[in-house]
Amino acid sequence: MEGYDVVVIGAGNGGLTASAGLAQKGFNVLLLERHNVPGGCATSFCRGRFEFEVALHQLSGMGTPEKPGPLRMMLDNLGVLDDLEFVEMDDLYHVAMPDGFRLTLKTSKDQVISELQEMFPHEKESIERFFDLVYSYANQMLAAFYFKDPDASREKYPLLYSHAFKPAIDVLDELFSDPLLKAVVSVYWGFLGLPPTRLSFAYLAMLFFVFIEFKPFHLKGGSQALSNGLINRFLSSGGTVRFNCGAKKIIVEDGAVKGVITEDGDHIPANHVIANASQVSTYVQLIDPENVPNETLREMRGRTLSPSAFVMFVGFDCEASQLGITDSTTFLMANTDITDRNLNRMQRLDIDDELMVLSCYDVADPDFSPPGTCQANIVTLKYGDPWLRVPPSDYHRVKYRCGEAMLRRVEDIFPDVRKHIEELEVATPLTHMRYLGHPNGAIYGFEQYTKDSLFFQPGRFSPIGGLYFASGWTGDCGFQSTLEAGLSAANSIIKKPNL
Amino acid sequence: MKKGIFQEFEGYSKIVEEIEASRRYGIDYSVDKDSPEQYINLLHPPRLELRVSDIIQETPSAKTLRLVSTNQYLPPFQAGQYIGLFLEIGKIRTTRPYSISSAPNQTGYYDITVRRVEGGLVSNYLLDDVESGHILQSSGPAGNFYFNPLFHKKTMVCLAGGSGITPFMSMIREVVECGLDRNIYLFYGNKDLDDIIFHETLKAISERSENIHYLPVIENPAEGYQGHSGLITGSLIRETLDHLEDKTFYLCGPQEMYEFCIPELEKLGIPKRKIRKEAYGPPARISDYPGWPQEIKAEDLFTIKVDGHKTLKGSAGEPLMVTLEQAGIVVPSLCRSGECSICRVKILSGKVFQPPGTLVRKSDNQFGYVHSCVSYPLEDLEVLI
Repeated sequence: MEGYDVVVIGAGNGGLTASAGLAQKGFNVLLLERHNVPGGCATSFCRGRFEFEVALHQLSGMGTPEKPGPLRMMLDNLGVLDDLEFVEMDDLYHVAMPDGFRLTLKTSKDQVISELQEMFPHEKESIERFFDLVYSYANQMLAAFYFKDPDASREKYPLLYSHAFKPAIDVLDELFSDPLLKAVVSVYWGFLGLPPTRLSFAYLAMLFFVFIEFKPFHLKGGSQALSNGLINRFLSSGGTVRFNCGAKKIIVEDGAVKGVITEDGDHIPANHVIANASQVSTYVQLIDPENVPNETLREMRGRTLSPSAFVMFVGFDCEASQLGITDSTTFLMANTDITDRNLNRMQRLDIDDELMVLSCYDVADPDFSPPGTCQANIVTLKYGDPWLRVPPSDYHRVKYRCGEAMLRRVEDIFPDVRKHIEELEVATPLTHMRYLGHPNGAIYGFEQYTKDSLFFQPGRFSPIGGLYFASGWTGDCGFQSTLEAGLSAANSIIKKPNL
Repeated sequence: MKKGIFQEFEGYSKIVEEIEASRRYGIDYSVDKDSPEQYINLLHPPRLELRVSDIIQETPSAKTLRLVSTNQYLPPFQAGQYIGLFLEIGKIRTTRPYSISSAPNQTGYYDITVRRVEGGLVSNYLLDDVESGHILQSSGPAGNFYFNPLFHKKTMVCLAGGSGITPFMSMIREVVECGLDRNIYLFYGNKDLDDIIFHETLKAISERSENIHYLPVIENPAEGYQGHSGLITGSLIRETLDHLEDKTFYLCGPQEMYEFCIPELEKLGIPKRKIRKEAYGPPARISDYPGWPQEIKAEDLFTIKVDGHKTLKGSAGEPLMVTLEQAGIVVPSLCRSGECSICRVKILSGKVFQPPGTLVRKSDNQFGYVHSCVSYPLEDLEVLI
């Protein structure tokens, strides 16, 4: 069987950029994907006249052609930019509560501050100070790590030293007294998976910073367009992809990768493997136990799985405005609780008062759904374990029960939705487990705890020679991070001497 | 652990302690290595091995195959869903979707009901060659044609044509046997009285169940036939039903039935969102399909070059997938109706016809991916599988 320089396992975001990046540099790459479509999470599916976006809510790091962000530059370097059309979203988010509270934050820093100040005049100065802190922190963080300042010190970057590991709640409590304001300002936690009691201020600050500086973007055709564009580039650079064919085994000899055995039983010699699959399945299922160092298993044992998600995809036979949906991203907030109780909510099977986010892509891109229609992707984060306790024969009943509860929450804010539903599909943590192959359907891989961050964990590296990782499991989650993770893994191979 | 300035950050030592504690009390991922897949396989097994336990002659041209699992486990399904049979007939490896006609509460077996298609490779094989005890391979239950309590109305109006009765049979059985709070009107169109599958069963159920209404409609009845005749028209539906607003309409049958009945429903003012239709295989005569280029004839032959395989000849009137299967090239498939996207392939060069309404992603269109089960060559092709 023909050998390759690199075998990439999985055509999710990280696997795609890794493959495309390596092929572009002339490496002979085989990409294995067990599904028939590339993308992993970055995909879509069709029902009736709708094509539903699965995972992309707001793309970060794009920036404009005039002021390009890191992701735009990266996609440009990979040669996919011309095949894709990006649309800037003009809101960061809208917050809606059943008591009638409504607030939209636009995407410029001044607007965000003035909108918050108008709604919370009693906390005017603190709001200003919060965003100063966000910006100062982000600038110090970028100077030290992104631009790799060799003389970084506590004196030079005091905020970085004091705030990097600080829980977001500490900052919120120091600055604000209004619980509603605290909840509104930290509501992005609903995208990250950890409530502000557990999430470090660093994550929240960086998220605000990148979305305000580089704006949130929508992609025409959804995330599948990006996945297809990357595969297209990969193929035109001479790469080989096998769909419907996963990896069965990574062959390791003397502590180094020697090849891969595919699901079809083909033996592919290769000295490098990039696993877009999780560390868990790579070390536990793909590599024989005698080749996995104990230290690696011990290290993995300390890591926490992220939540999965309960998602409803709804196609409506009317336009968004008719339903009262005015913004691309709406957080449905049942209460102002940002404590650890949110972990209990995520651990619960049923849906009641959890934080949800409703994305309506048609607001930014009226062509997204057919004329006169719109679609919503409604998500709430849920851990996978309770779903593993549902007997299979009860699964559909439980799924509809939770869907009904979610729909009621949406109706609290947009009362007419049910009258206009034309298509509706539900994805549970088990659906994510099925399609992603992640333990417990953990959509983000390991949790966004500081202990699980890149500072403390091996990221893309492995003690097994020639093995690298590229996915949400290696560090930060989300589109920008996973796409970057793929290139980082590719670069580790490209920059290796004597290859 | 790597070295870096972060080791001087406030809170660093607390996090190191946290990591140590997590490693002591965390999850040992290596012990339950197969558990996620094992659970998922209970809902969505990639493959089922089924034994034909019984064959029931339903009409002169239709039989029900009763299928039990060889490992005593059948995954749950929603009434209306199908299984895809994986078959090897002669030298041809192919698949066919069959709606399950037994009820989901019947956990001991799945029934599939097969009607003979003239010249049909698979239906003739299943009806003539398969006997009790025979082992068949299939997919797990799949498909999106079922009652969705989140937005469907409690009263279902079902329009069936011929063997399109099978998903409705499962739904009706479930509603009756489980005492569900739902009403069903079944309009069942057939060419003649002898063709009706489940006629006696449906009559009996509707006689004893207030919420099940059975209306056979015979296209060409013998003289003197008392029941409804002709096609399932809008006026027949309007005459039968008191109100149209509080109902969801479900259609399962051949393409010609959709072409006739959907406009009839639209004329009654039924909005799109209340009309559900099941995938029902590729159109019988693609060259008659609206939008088919007149200059191409069904029998026109084109060269099909498949990456990594030999070069084939395929006719314009045959789905690309069928041409591939006949040449021994297997593309995974499931619905074979242009919906599920399992059979997606990339057209590197050349043009194909996909019937309007095929559910292809926008970006798949942009990058040349098609559903090979409903793609018909209009030029010489180069295909990447």
